[in-house]
Amino acid sequence: MVLSLASPPALDAVDWVALAQFESGDWAFVREQLPYLARGFVVTLLLTLTSIVLGFLAGFPMGAIEVYGRGPLRSFVYGAGVVLRAIPIVVILVFMFFVAPIPLPGGQFAFDVPRVGSVSFGRSAFLAATVGLGLRSAAYQAQIFRGALQSVSGGQMEAARSVGMSRLQGIRHVVLPQALRRSIPGFQNEFTIVLKDTSIAFAIGLTELFARADNLFTQRTTATLELFLFISLVYFIMTFVTNRSLDYLGDYYAIPGGDR
Amino acid sequence: MSDQHSGTADGTDTSAATASGTEASDTDTASADAATAGAASQPLLRVEDLQKSYGDETVLRGISFDLDKRDVEVIIGPSGSGKSTMLRCVNRLTEFQGGAIYLDGESVMAMNDNDLRRRVGMVFQDINLFAHLTALQNVTLGLRKVRGMGKEAAREKAMDQLDRVGLASQADSYPAELSGGQKQRVGIARALAMDPELLLFDEPTSALDPELVGEVLEVMRDLAEGGMTMLVVTHEMGFARRAASSLMFLDEGRIVERGPPEQLFDDPEHDRTAEFLQRLTTISEEV
Ligand SMILES: Nc1ncnc2c1ncn2[C@@H]1O[C@H](COP(=O)(O)OP(=O)(O)O)[C@@H](O)[C@H]1O
Ligand SMILES: [Mg+2]
Repeated sequence: MVLSLASPPALDAVDWVALAQFESGDWAFVREQLPYLARGFVVTLLLTLTSIVLGFLAGFPMGAIEVYGRGPLRSFVYGAGVVLRAIPIVVILVFMFFVAPIPLPGGQFAFDVPRVGSVSFGRSAFLAATVGLGLRSAAYQAQIFRGALQSVSGGQMEAARSVGMSRLQGIRHVVLPQALRRSIPGFQNEFTIVLKDTSIAFAIGLTELFARADNLFTQRTTATLELFLFISLVYFIMTFVTNRSLDYLGDYYAIPGGDR
Repeated sequence: MSDQHSGTADGTDTSAATASGTEASDTDTASADAATAGAASQPLLRVEDLQKSYGDETVLRGISFDLDKRDVEVIIGPSGSGKSTMLRCVNRLTEFQGGAIYLDGESVMAMNDNDLRRRVGMVFQDINLFAHLTALQNVTLGLRKVRGMGKEAAREKAMDQLDRVGLASQADSYPAELSGGQKQRVGIARALAMDPELLLFDEPTSALDPELVGEVLEVMRDLAEGGMTMLVVTHEMGFARRAASSLMFLDEGRIVERGPPEQLFDDPEHDRTAEFLQRLTTISEEV
């Protein structure tokens, strides 16, 4: 009660009607810059997709190797996962961009944009970011799949073997279909983490959504709140939509009557 | 009862014995038996001095017995005596270190393990239905992937098996939608669909609520009467009395006593057998 007497000045300053119409000074600035931000949005979306796909393609086999593999291959996969999960993503990205690119035959470096004739485009921050985010996601997706594979009761595998199916057939027809279903909630989580962490590619100069908002903010420092509120909303909508879609996927494939 | 049993066995065994006669020639005991007792005597299953250990814990200490076609052997014994392990040696879900097991005269060690398991079905205590598949699909999976049957043929055959266990109407239900007894009957149908020569049951009713035990035992009795060769670990003594051709008491990895059920119930040779059976009966009466 006492607090409400002195309402915070920041709130007084917001003209809600103007805001809704996107028209007060700094909001109008955001509106003018929509095409510029939209290109950042596209980069963010693409980077999320390439990273998640790379993470799935590498992470899925990694998880399977952790469960079913043995020997040096399993140790390698396990070790790589531990390392990737232990390093901050910004460090991984900087490493991918500045350290990892090795000289390739033909005078180019890894992550360089392919030369067209004699024209060189330099190093691709997008490629480096895809590899960095993708590998780290692989390390986490591997854990999701590992847990899901292990959660399918060993008895079902024995039952599959007991009718004459091979181990591989048992994995493929009995364990995998159940493990994939059980991976969906974990995968949902991972998807949103990758989506949000694309903003860290800003550190290697990739002009995705956040980097573009940051550029605009240095042009017009009064628009900080508006710019970052706006891109937060964009991130929120993207996360919300993917989460809902994956919920739907989970419901669609849910096993009638429950899981066990 | 045993007369009728050996009588029916005669007719069916002849072809099997001649068919596998050449393969059995390297195992002199099997061929010797066949020679002395004529064409009908090759046991479907022969377990010979079976030994098995996990690490340095010896679980099976030399188990030997024969099982003829159409025989139903019931195995009883205290928890940890090696009953499950013995069954799992027969279809090689676990490997054993000593002795030998012959299926129709052929050493199981010489067989491809997938081929062996196609011929020896198994029903589990914890049922282990494939949770993501309907009752029907649980039965068709092996037919499709192992026997390579077409979709329609597999479906038809699976429906026959479900019908056999009284569950044709539940074909499209998922395991989570079935009662324990229904699940176990699907488990039996799944094993039956592969046309096994021998069926292994590892305490098929132990995980079930008491009121659901009957429907499963009934299916098993039908199978026994239909001539299926069965090796059954169970402590359902009513089933043993009515369906078993022979009863085996296992303790600490050894066969303590084996014989017709009436003999073990009424006039056991060993005190341990009497004590164990006594305990089983009192427990089931208390419950
Ligand atoms: N996979 C395993 N690894 C190690 N020990 C086992 C394993 N399976 C069974 N055993 C041991 O073998 C013994 C016999 O077990 P089991 O055959 O399951 O007995 P039963 O079915 O008669 O209760 C027990 O002492 C058990 O602890
Ligand atoms: Mg057991």
